[in-house]
Amino acid sequence: MTLKGGATSACAACKYQRRKCIPECLLAPYFPADQTKVFQNAHKLFGVSNIVKILRSLDPSQHAEAMRSIKYQANVRDRFPVYGCLGVIRQLYYQIQMLEEEMHTVLTQLEMYRQHHHHQQQQHQHQHQISSMADDVISQLELGMAPSNNALPLFNQVTHQPYTMQNTYSSSDIDSPPKDNVENNSLWIQHLFLDTNNHGTSNNDSPIAIQSQLLVPNSEPLADTQHQVVQDYDEIHPFFDSIDDRQSYIDTKDAEDSSSSEESLKETTQLMVGNVGSKDLKNAAACFSLTSVN
Amino acid sequence: MSSSSYSSSPCAACKFLRRKCMPDCIFAPYFPPEEPQKFANVHKIFGASNVSKLLNEVPTFQREDAVNSLAYEAEARLKDPVYGCVGAISVLQRQVITLQRELDATNANLFRYAYNEMPPLRPPQPPPPLAAGQSSAFCYPYQWNDPSDEDNERSSGGNM
Repeated sequence: MTLKGGATSACAACKYQRRKCIPECLLAPYFPADQTKVFQNAHKLFGVSNIVKILRSLDPSQHAEAMRSIKYQANVRDRFPVYGCLGVIRQLYYQIQMLEEEMHTVLTQLEMYRQHHHHQQQQHQHQHQISSMADDVISQLELGMAPSNNALPLFNQVTHQPYTMQNTYSSSDIDSPPKDNVENNSLWIQHLFLDTNNHGTSNNDSPIAIQSQLLVPNSEPLADTQHQVVQDYDEIHPFFDSIDDRQSYIDTKDAEDSSSSEESLKETTQLMVGNVGSKDLKNAAACFSLTSVN
Repeated sequence: MSSSSYSSSPCAACKFLRRKCMPDCIFAPYFPPEEPQKFANVHKIFGASNVSKLLNEVPTFQREDAVNSLAYEAEARLKDPVYGCVGAISVLQRQVITLQRELDATNANLFRYAYNEMPPLRPPQPPPPLAAGQSSAFCYPYQWNDPSDEDNERSSGGNM
């Protein structure tokens, strides 16, 4: 292409077409003379006339973005002659699917750790409370003092307090993920679970089996609270619903354990009190009869 | 034209171009007459001659995939003349970035729990703001290097 005065060189489009590059050339801003390969790709896929047609159908403010996408599409087609941008889209979909599956696995493991940690905390606090209250009673009896009016209700509160603590813990949302993410997570967790169920992979079976093993041994003192915990955790309620009927079996089993667990709890407290000494206990009981509990 | 010797009707391409559909028509296997819109879209965006050249450069067993991808891109460009199918790529790429960040954060929490620590609650961080040179929210995932120049797409403002 001949240059007049050598002020400006023809754009790659006009150079390719061997024509004069006028100042009003639509493609000149987007195909500099040094980017011949880019233009060749765009020309090979779309053709100059089709590109100009697209640009003329758009507002001038949209030209830059349109040309950017046209060049990108043409370059991808040059790189992947068969699938082009569709291949890129499929790869991204596959990538997203893999990430979601991995997220599902990690969230499952995280939930198991949270429950295990939570149960351990509750057990520890429960035992600590029992021992501290027993120590209080022992110390008061040793001093020959009448236990406080609320001593007996304290023992009753031992069984009830975990419920309130559970409620407090569940409402604190310390460990709960953001709800907008959780709702999405619950949907694709169900979806992915159904998919993996259909495929019969063993990956989903192991977390469920591990979870059931975690629930059963820890059911002794706090099994009855677990049902309330499940109800309080809205974000994992759909998760449990999506698993299978074994979860309901575990709940009923826990319910049965809880009825015996409460009795064992009372026995435990009675044993601890019994270690004090029968005479002291009788004296304490006598004090109770004379005072109102409330 | 001995129409009696041809039992099949002309393909959608030859029908659109109003020409005789020869037995060795390159479009015939991939543009059946029952799908006229498919060729119409492809012709409008890419042109019949460009599609023919592209198909000739592709092995025969991959031509159907090539045609389907071209049809998809043409339809996307007709629906969105500015971004075409590249808009979907940008959206998906951002989704991948977001998911990857969430996964990294969740893995970090899991790691802390595995060592019996309470993890601090950290919401997923939002995507970084656009750089000064970026004109839109588009994220082009693939880098394409023009072997003929050093500054790849910089002068045209592309980030490819």
